[in-house]
Amino acid sequence: MMRRFVPILMLFLLLAFPARADEADDGSVYEILDASGAAVTLFAGVPEAGDEYISGDNAHYRITRVEEAKKRAYADFLGAFSLPDIPWEEDDALPVSQAKHAVALYCTHSDESYEPTDGKSSISRRGGIYDVAEALKKHLEEKGITVYYSDENHFPHDAGAYRRSRSTAASLKEEGVDAMFDVHRDGIPDAAQYESEVNGKGVTKVRLLVGRSNQNADANRQFAAQIKAVADRRYPGLVKDIYIGKGTYNQDLMAQAVLLEFGTHKSDKSEVLSSTAYMADVLARALYGGVTGAAGDGGAARENTGGWKGVAWVLGLLVAGMFVYSLLATGSGKGALAKWKGNFREMTGGLFGGRGGRK
Amino acid sequence: MGLILLSAVSALVLLGVAQRVLDRMQLSDRAALLIAAALFVGGLIPDIRVGQVTVNLGGAIVPLGVCVWLLVKTDTRKEAVRAMVGSVLTAGAIFALGRLLPDEPEKMAVDPQYLYGLAGGLIAYLLGRSRRAAFICGVLGVLLADTASALLTWRQGIRQTLALGGAGALDAVVLSGVIAVLLSEFLGELLERLSRGPDPSKARLERREK
Repeated sequence: MMRRFVPILMLFLLLAFPARADEADDGSVYEILDASGAAVTLFAGVPEAGDEYISGDNAHYRITRVEEAKKRAYADFLGAFSLPDIPWEEDDALPVSQAKHAVALYCTHSDESYEPTDGKSSISRRGGIYDVAEALKKHLEEKGITVYYSDENHFPHDAGAYRRSRSTAASLKEEGVDAMFDVHRDGIPDAAQYESEVNGKGVTKVRLLVGRSNQNADANRQFAAQIKAVADRRYPGLVKDIYIGKGTYNQDLMAQAVLLEFGTHKSDKSEVLSSTAYMADVLARALYGGVTGAAGDGGAARENTGGWKGVAWVLGLLVAGMFVYSLLATGSGKGALAKWKGNFREMTGGLFGGRGGRK
Repeated sequence: MGLILLSAVSALVLLGVAQRVLDRMQLSDRAALLIAAALFVGGLIPDIRVGQVTVNLGGAIVPLGVCVWLLVKTDTRKEAVRAMVGSVLTAGAIFALGRLLPDEPEKMAVDPQYLYGLAGGLIAYLLGRSRRAAFICGVLGVLLADTASALLTWRQGIRQTLALGGAGALDAVVLSGVIAVLLSEFLGELLERLSRGPDPSKARLERREK
């Protein structure tokens, strides 16, 4: 019996070891540099080769190398990122549609707060981030959009937070929403990185974060680009940038899901709250166009087609996976094909796949 | 991902690829497809709320029912005990993963919800090379770990809903059960093949050709 428990004990140690190494990185901020060594941006997290970054002025980068010891990442400049044209943005005069226009809001990291105004950067019972989500909700509702908002607490702020918020996101999605926004604040210690001015008013910028590890990645990214395109035209300086990083962030649940980072923990919450009014206008226009409420039948709510690419990828992987399994089970390519043929023949009642039956 | 995995498993069942796995789990093709359908449809039904706990039919009740069925159908009492011990160990591993892994997805090498099933499959395989136990460990491990985490949060006076299988067919409970079985089958197939050597019928054919 003991012999069996030794590998299990080893498994526990194996699982814990890399985690402990990573735990020391918590709160660390990486500097992203271009090939010439010039600073591109800061990222509160661990970037990975393959991550992409679209700066405020639409310079497109891909991370190629990460130096963990120096907390630096190097990125190649890919060229200017071309933001999509948003023809429905100006459709103010369209008649009010009867269709329900609805979005969902929730906060995965319930503790996130703003140090200067909330007193602490993390408050376990209810972080200041809920005030930001509620302000965004109010401004979206003023635009005639139905907001399904959950103030569910997903504490602790650990590796399981996104799993706990997945239930929240899944039930919000069931309401038939057009888009889903997970409201966060960033962890960059320099508030100046997020300070901005819109219409002469002090606001904090908003970073859009999308994951690249799910079947909706292309659609999520397309949606983020649409949001930035509207923001850049109407309120330059409001959207800080787009970071396309490793991770899912529950964005696999919906094609139109984006994580919004409103300022950083060092930001003044009153400035963050000011930015929610402009951001609500941007989201409303990106989704539906117009300002008077449920106007426009176009918009990102119907224009995003990136999800199909994801489905094609999954189907391809499924076929490849089944072939590898058959190969493993039979030991040869010929055997794998014969197994497939037999199964196909059985499924179609002998109509296809040649003669004979499954043994 | 959960839905894709569920569709993939249904396709595997339809194509007969999962025949051996189902045989070992004492499930017929029809039962497996019915379970997949129940997971999907049950996931669409609104959660049942009892105080601070919500339970999803497809995400928790159906997989839990399958676990009970598998426990009843175990060949020996020893196998059932092993599956239960494995579930507690998996819950411990999942709880530890939640606390020890980095808190942001971009800092993680693998999404934790895939790791839960891998832990369940590996623990079940090490305990008894059982595909049935793998599914039980994957499902019960996640449900037990979620409950433990909520109990600790409630003790701190924080109001939080314990959502069991809240994401339905897309939940980590289903995902973990399926991944655990797939891993256990893959490990079993690989190790059995390595110890068995080349396919005897193929070797016979090669000898005849010589």
